[in-house]
Amino acid sequence: MKTVMLVCAAGMSTSLLVTKMRRVAQAKGLDITIFAVSATEIDDVLETRQVDALLLGPQVKFRREEIEARLQGKNILLDEINIQHYGMMDGEKVLNQALSLVGS
Amino acid sequence: MQKFIENLESKMGPLAMKLDGNRYITAIKDGFFGVMSLLIIGSIFLLLGNIPIGGYAEFMSSLLGKDWASYFTVPYDVTMNVMTVYVIIAMARSLSRTYKLDGIACISIVVVAFLILTPMLELKDGGLGIPVTNLGASGLFLGMIVAIAAVEIVRFIDKKGWKIKMPDSVPENVARSFSALIPALFVIIVFNLVRIIFSLTSFGTVQAFIYHYLQVPLLYLGDTLPATLIVTVFEGVLWSFGIHGSNVVSGIMKPIWLALTADNAAAFGAGEAIPHIINFQFYANFMKVGGFGGTLGLAIILLLFAKSKQYKTLGKLAIGPGIFGINEPLIFGIPIVLNPIMMIPFILNPLILATVAYFAMASGIVPLTNGTNIPWTTPPIIAGFLVSGWKGALLNVVQIGISILLYYPFFKSVDRIALQNEKEQEKTEISNDGGVNFN
Repeated sequence: MKTVMLVCAAGMSTSLLVTKMRRVAQAKGLDITIFAVSATEIDDVLETRQVDALLLGPQVKFRREEIEARLQGKNILLDEINIQHYGMMDGEKVLNQALSLVGS
Repeated sequence: MQKFIENLESKMGPLAMKLDGNRYITAIKDGFFGVMSLLIIGSIFLLLGNIPIGGYAEFMSSLLGKDWASYFTVPYDVTMNVMTVYVIIAMARSLSRTYKLDGIACISIVVVAFLILTPMLELKDGGLGIPVTNLGASGLFLGMIVAIAAVEIVRFIDKKGWKIKMPDSVPENVARSFSALIPALFVIIVFNLVRIIFSLTSFGTVQAFIYHYLQVPLLYLGDTLPATLIVTVFEGVLWSFGIHGSNVVSGIMKPIWLALTADNAAAFGAGEAIPHIINFQFYANFMKVGGFGGTLGLAIILLLFAKSKQYKTLGKLAIGPGIFGINEPLIFGIPIVLNPIMMIPFILNPLILATVAYFAMASGIVPLTNGTNIPWTTPPIIAGFLVSGWKGALLNVVQIGISILLYYPFFKSVDRIALQNEKEQEKTEISNDGGVNFN
């Protein structure tokens, strides 16, 4: 079971994306957990949950280095969500991006 | 032009990073993040105690008795009016995380430091009391400075390694409470000294000093239209480069705007004239109508007037979140980011909306926002009503109208280009199919 965490500013816009991604994942019968948090909550969440991949919303990708520093020592893959896919809230394409990170 | 934009973009990222990634601003943001839900709930109670509909007060007193309003003011009093306490706790925790220090130790030390500098009064019957206002908005900037300073002292001592080391056989919790002793002692000595020094000056207390020399000028500045417009341009430019401008700006402005809101709330609760036009409610509900850039109007245009397939789809997608102030689908989907055509109305619109709302309130047409912290995702018109009554709701309607008028020509040209591209793509697809060539 793979866990993918999406990060944006308030956790709101990414949560829209998450709903769509979950729908696609369910239809495909994939064993994957997807959720969204705000950048402020990263540390708290990582304390209690095992996360395999972190996808950054484009509007917070300028914080990439700072966030990567916080992931030090944890085995978490990080990538930036493709801007077009994010803008169109394309659940399937972003899910594919996540899958190419964690492998299914 | 492309070069210029790329140049600017390469500078924007690091600049935003400096502002948003700065550990003190992060601590301040974390501080308010923790307190927002309390402020919202406290505001709901304030609102319930003061709903601006005729006949409400009489109805409530017939239901709950003469003192009905006091049933609602206590939750408000212990949240909004004591906000600094919660903010410094959350800030201490955030900084302790950044510096990898003991969270509980930092929180307790910060609260102690703050209380040392908080003036206390002797009550008539001989007991000691803390005026609650010092724990609220008027102590906010002092609290933020104290939180940062106290944790820095702890960090300094931690770095120097001055701590009481217990032998390994001692249980960890016991050892931790001993290791917190020295930093706590230092902080208390330092802050007590500061308190004594200030009590010998004409200011009397540190709080009075910070309040008059830092908070009041900042609040005064924050309440002006020009300052707000400048901040908005900055926010808009950041967004135009795909950086979360609102996050960066609110890290700096939120303490100021929320302190202004708290002032308004206190006046509202006391039935007095509301002092500040600009505050967090103004920003969240009369500028960010549908999200930064006043994009609800834009979402409506896409939904009703888009001709290209791409934007028709986006319109259906963006209207739902847009009503609740989430406009990333528009910002990244049109996109507005790095799009010179859309950037113009995107930055102009909030400036126009702010100016219109400001003068509507300054001239007395629309009541000033009453200081109740509603969630920022509250849809426009409803939000306008909750903070400024039905005239506020009407103002929101007017603002949506202005947004539609402003965005329309710009969006139309973008839509035309998209439609053109779609038609050309269809042409190439048809001719690639080996079918009849139409040109």
